[in-house]
Amino acid sequence: MPVPSVWSRVVLAGLSAFLVLFIVGPLLRLLLLATPHSLGEALRDAELRDSIVLTVLTASVATVIGALLGLPLAYLLARKRFPGRRIVQGIIDLPVVIPHPVAGIALLLFLGRRSEVGGALASVGLQFVSHVPGIVVAMLFVSSPILVSGAREAFRSVDPQLERVARTLGDTGWGAFRRVTLPLAGRGILAASILAWARSVSEFGSIVILTYNPKVASIFIYDRFTAFGLPAAIPAAVVLLLVALTVFVVVRVLQPEEHR
Amino acid sequence: MIRLENLHVRVGDFDLRDISLEVPKGGYALIIGPTGSGKTTLLEAVAGHARLQSGRVFMHDDEVTDLPPERRGLGFVYQQYHLFPHLSVRDNIGYGLRRPGNGGNGSAAGTRIGELAELLAITPLLDRTVRGLSGGEQQRVALARALAPRPSILLLDEPFAAVDPATRLVLRRELRDLHEREGITTLQVTHDFDEALRLGDLVAVLSEGRIAQSGRPEEVFRYPNSAFVARFVGTGNVIAGTVERKEPGGAPGPFRGVFRGDTLALDVVAEREGPTHAVIRPEDIVLSLTPHPDSARNHMTGRVVRLERSGPVTLVHLDVGRQLLASLTTASVEELGLQAGITVIVAFKATAIYLV
Repeated sequence: MPVPSVWSRVVLAGLSAFLVLFIVGPLLRLLLLATPHSLGEALRDAELRDSIVLTVLTASVATVIGALLGLPLAYLLARKRFPGRRIVQGIIDLPVVIPHPVAGIALLLFLGRRSEVGGALASVGLQFVSHVPGIVVAMLFVSSPILVSGAREAFRSVDPQLERVARTLGDTGWGAFRRVTLPLAGRGILAASILAWARSVSEFGSIVILTYNPKVASIFIYDRFTAFGLPAAIPAAVVLLLVALTVFVVVRVLQPEEHR
Repeated sequence: MIRLENLHVRVGDFDLRDISLEVPKGGYALIIGPTGSGKTTLLEAVAGHARLQSGRVFMHDDEVTDLPPERRGLGFVYQQYHLFPHLSVRDNIGYGLRRPGNGGNGSAAGTRIGELAELLAITPLLDRTVRGLSGGEQQRVALARALAPRPSILLLDEPFAAVDPATRLVLRRELRDLHEREGITTLQVTHDFDEALRLGDLVAVLSEGRIAQSGRPEEVFRYPNSAFVARFVGTGNVIAGTVERKEPGGAPGPFRGVFRGDTLALDVVAEREGPTHAVIRPEDIVLSLTPHPDSARNHMTGRVVRLERSGPVTLVHLDVGRQLLASLTTASVEELGLQAGITVIVAFKATAIYLV
């Protein structure tokens, strides 16, 4: 790149600074309200506590299911050439571009008791609409693309020749995966899982349609805001922001240098 | 022992075909060929990494065609080493030992690691991570790792390509010693014929997915069966042309003929007429300053273009209407006072021309 002139440097720096401050400003404003006193008060609120526990648990379950189903797929996408690979890849990325309430409505139609699938599942006692499993499937729907694409990149970063070397040293295919690929991709997979978890924690649009009650944290905040106004929503918002920031820092530490 | 019978392997639109080769027990064979001739694919097929379209692979009289790589009992050293980056040097070497029935318990594994590290002079590196090792060090670790489970067959893919020339010489010698010591049947891929001459009992020249020629290295070097092999192994001067009989008719068998190619008309002993290649080895060409009668049938004048000294031997690049390469002892180059630009008499016998 040619050396920019003084003016272009000023313009570049100015525009960049504006956007950075635009992100930092509001968050900082909210964070400044997080005094020990206000946090203590927020955590004494049993309803808020329950919603945070519910959010953390459902997001964790969604992440575990996402990992169980998504890691084999991520490995397949990273390593194998098969017909329809690009189509599968596209389908996995679809939830990213679908507005979340739309996803919620689609899930409602698919899993509601009047649908074939929903009806069948309800008959064995698994209900989604206005039940906790509804939260989990909504979270799974929006977070799995993040997990799969992150894990796929993690697998792709491991040289496939290493598995071949392991095979010639006596490992079975599974043994080579377990002893070589998994440890080498581990950090990337963990980072992808945490990002997917964070995405689940922050989900609102699809959950609000599928399961308004019991309330996850994001719906709890929305509910407090609409029912009791801004001051009532702030403590919960602060707590959720702190959870998100912690996750963010952990992911940054885990990610390999070049992605930071 | 490794025996390959009519292997056919397809990778993308590349075909490796009609590969038949036998490396005797304890033998050292080299596959040589230019980039893209299918050398690595061939090794991967032997290792069981590449799916065969047809053909069979035998190891020590057992057919292993359908066995996965882990059940073939072989060691594989890759060109880029591919050490496990998450493991220490010690754990890399011990990777194939940590398994019941494949090197025994922990202390036996430790002994084997120590023994190989000593042999390859990498004992001080054992507790290091593999990051930051030099090319030569990585090569030694990769070799130790492949040898640790005592494979009966060792496959080497261009093992010296990524190390400096001095290290290459040392490693080559060590590898030959190791081969003799452990008695491992070895199949190595290289693009360097010199390596084949120094290391191999057997060489197979690969061209576009087929074996162009195989045999003892000296034999392939002396008697290449095609212009491709002659050029590739560096036999010397390869000239395209045609052979005609001097006297028409005649009995079957070798006859005196004339080979015409480029601007040259050479006396040759031929077995058939028609288009062919003449191969003249540089060491069979005699240079002198004045014409003198000798038994050589072919005489011509040439101009010295360039001298290329390499120790006791000097390569003389000549222009005789086309390029010709002669190899003389450096002593005789001095004695004749050869230098670029002077004109010399170039002579070689009819029997020194090898037609392929």
